[in-house]
Amino acid sequence: MDDVIPKDKVMPFKWVGTSPIRPDGVPKVTGVAQYGADLAMPGMLHGRILRSPHAHARIRSIDTSKALALPGVKAVVTSADFPEQSFEYLGPERVAVNYWHMTRNVMAREQALYEGHAVAAVAAISKSVADEALALIRVDYEVRAHVIDVDEAMKPEAPLLFPDLITRGVEPPPKPSNISKRIEFKIGDIEKGFAESHEIVEMSFKTAPVHQAYIEPHGCVVRFDADGQGEIWSSSQGHFVVRAYTAKLLGLKLGDLRAYPAEIGGGFGGKTVIYLEPVAALLAKKSGHPVKMMMSREEVFKATGPTSGSSMTVKIGVKRDGKIVAADGLFKFQAGAFPGSPVMNACMCAFAPYDIPNARTVGYDVVCNRPKSAAYRAPGSPISAFAVESVIDALAQKLRMDPLELRLKNAARSGTQMVYGPKLAHNGYAETIEALLRHPAWKAPLKKNQGRGVASGYWFNGGGESSATVHINDDGTVVCATGSPDIGGSRASMAIMCAETLGVDYAQVRPIVADTASVGYTHLTGGSRVTFATGIAVIEASKKVITELCKRAAMIWDVDVEGVTWQDGHAKPASTNVGDFKPLSLKEIAAKKAATGGPIGAAAGVNPGAVAPGFATQFCDVEVDPETGKVTVLRFVAAQDVGRAIHRDYVEGQIQGGVVQGIGWALNEEYVYDGKGRMENPGFLDYRIPVASDLPMIETVIVEVPNPAHPYGAKGVAEVNICPPMAAIANAIERATGKRLTELPMSPRKVLAAMDGTA
Amino acid sequence: MPAPARVVLTGGLSRRYTGGVQEFSVEARNLRGVLKALDRLHPGLADHLEHETTVAIDGEIHEDVGYYQTVKPGSEIFFIPKLEGG
Repeated sequence: MDDVIPKDKVMPFKWVGTSPIRPDGVPKVTGVAQYGADLAMPGMLHGRILRSPHAHARIRSIDTSKALALPGVKAVVTSADFPEQSFEYLGPERVAVNYWHMTRNVMAREQALYEGHAVAAVAAISKSVADEALALIRVDYEVRAHVIDVDEAMKPEAPLLFPDLITRGVEPPPKPSNISKRIEFKIGDIEKGFAESHEIVEMSFKTAPVHQAYIEPHGCVVRFDADGQGEIWSSSQGHFVVRAYTAKLLGLKLGDLRAYPAEIGGGFGGKTVIYLEPVAALLAKKSGHPVKMMMSREEVFKATGPTSGSSMTVKIGVKRDGKIVAADGLFKFQAGAFPGSPVMNACMCAFAPYDIPNARTVGYDVVCNRPKSAAYRAPGSPISAFAVESVIDALAQKLRMDPLELRLKNAARSGTQMVYGPKLAHNGYAETIEALLRHPAWKAPLKKNQGRGVASGYWFNGGGESSATVHINDDGTVVCATGSPDIGGSRASMAIMCAETLGVDYAQVRPIVADTASVGYTHLTGGSRVTFATGIAVIEASKKVITELCKRAAMIWDVDVEGVTWQDGHAKPASTNVGDFKPLSLKEIAAKKAATGGPIGAAAGVNPGAVAPGFATQFCDVEVDPETGKVTVLRFVAAQDVGRAIHRDYVEGQIQGGVVQGIGWALNEEYVYDGKGRMENPGFLDYRIPVASDLPMIETVIVEVPNPAHPYGAKGVAEVNICPPMAAIANAIERATGKRLTELPMSPRKVLAAMDGTA
Repeated sequence: MPAPARVVLTGGLSRRYTGGVQEFSVEARNLRGVLKALDRLHPGLADHLEHETTVAIDGEIHEDVGYYQTVKPGSEIFFIPKLEGG
């Protein structure tokens, strides 16, 4: 590992940057950690969902009478049990929520819009009785023509999902189509830029829709008491958001719902939305029993948020010396059954790593008969990066330039104007390129049928609202509670930052994820925001505790509080004038808490800004089997600017995890549909994610350009690492075979066809 | 009095709320002052910006529009679409 830390930036931290044992490790490896599937309650029923077998069908009627009459069935719900929602987009444009859409995604109303769309649900004394009841529900469907491919869905003759969907962002409004939205960002004069270019490369690309493929399926238990108070236990990336969406869909007050975070077995963006919770809540209300619902793997694939498939065209023009002067990108994304693909992110991130004076990105959000897309790790950015980074590589070949040097020459730096308007405020990209240029393997020789590819990526990272409370126990141990579900090791990072701030041992701090009634509002775990934003909440709460500890020490010493300072986990006299007092440890002060004013603790709620973005640059070596087209990844080196690593092992883990998911996206993963729009590979045997034996060691290069807006310099680290792998592998295949693949996944069949000239 | 700040809206925001006007010169010490000034020019605009955008002040991206965010003399302020992560 080649860590890049400017020598003058090394700070004397005790815990930040170390890799202590994770606090959630023992319960997980011994099997006692409580995931969504693990909770059981007295009198609990089992809920199951009836799903549409059709990709597109009008629902004429639903007859549940025979299911309700089955012994052991306690409740049945359909969309008729959900209150109607008004049709309006609420909140910010990109993340606008339309509850008219959401309630229809949770339970189909007028029509089923994808195979697997929920149409009814049953709660019964066992899963088998519930499944038997589902078979007794009669749904009268009028099957309609369906469309899945984004280019097909945009055609005027395509079957319409919504007969009244008018494209937003186009004036005058066009006639109804499947195009939900058009967006455009532009700086400079791209016509002039291309006219000044000496070399221009333009290529078109397609990417297959892929799933987040978290190992743990969605699951929840919901209880409703006679007084109208409900409780939700579920595996999610944000129990505050689960509570808010469920309350809205059911017309409940937030105060009448309490949501508890279960351990989560992966989310990657796919658990930022709800599917089961409001259904289980309705079944619980109707039956008077707690209701547990779990999805099967097939349901996860067919009914939960994959990310978009896409169709893209990217054109970039350069001067002879390699300076990029113009770039144009067209990005068309599948939204799934309801509007809301990540195409805006794709448009904003596409050219962000580069200083390009003339640039335009145009995006289309297109509905089609697939599950509504949900966020997936740096949503949108990996897709547009595949196209842009492939074109950059082709330009490097035309110019006979080292692809890293071409990127370095054009690297965005602090002050570079982004296509979406503002100037970049942080460095970090060039440093990742320079780290790889120094890497010994960059110039290592390759053998026949092998190639080396490089690519980069950009992600905004996130800030936003977070809360934390820090309490001191009588024995000096510390409880650090936040509202951020721990998906990627955040409890360890929170404990590190709490221990570092208080000056105590890491093992003294017990980090927990608290429920919605026990800690202040905290936004989702997503957008690479938790270490930055929730970390700041933890640091602020810890500082308040230090202030209180100094007050208590002043009381014990009977001096003014100004005479006390906090250092190395102890209260000390600020100067010799204060008096000759032996330093008081946190434990000693805690032991005196009753006499000095009662329990010691503090809460902090923050909404930090000045979010520093993440940059990643990666290279990989592949070998292509000329007989089969199989691509083997021999080496993968991933450099990323992380600001400052808080828990070093977890940072490496995030980088490795993103790369692995990117390798799967590049080589294997795709939804395979039959002619009726039904998924043919809804399981991990046929939907092939990489396993350990498919992969080399993913070598990480941690680059640290500290973020001045975070007390310890942290930046988000979880997402940008998934942006480069698809293009890096495509570029490596091109160097190995002379064939450029422009369609994902680059499966053996496609690689072989390209090599045989039959693609 | 502080020097004016340059305020820029995206094309989409300006089409929806300001009749296509994308740039403004505003005198303010913090973002609350910016919003109030914009609202005087286009009543209701402040509410839209507060709830629908992320703001970049001199390139620093703030996920939410916070009243307390400081505006320096000559600052560049971009209201851009809200971002989403995974």
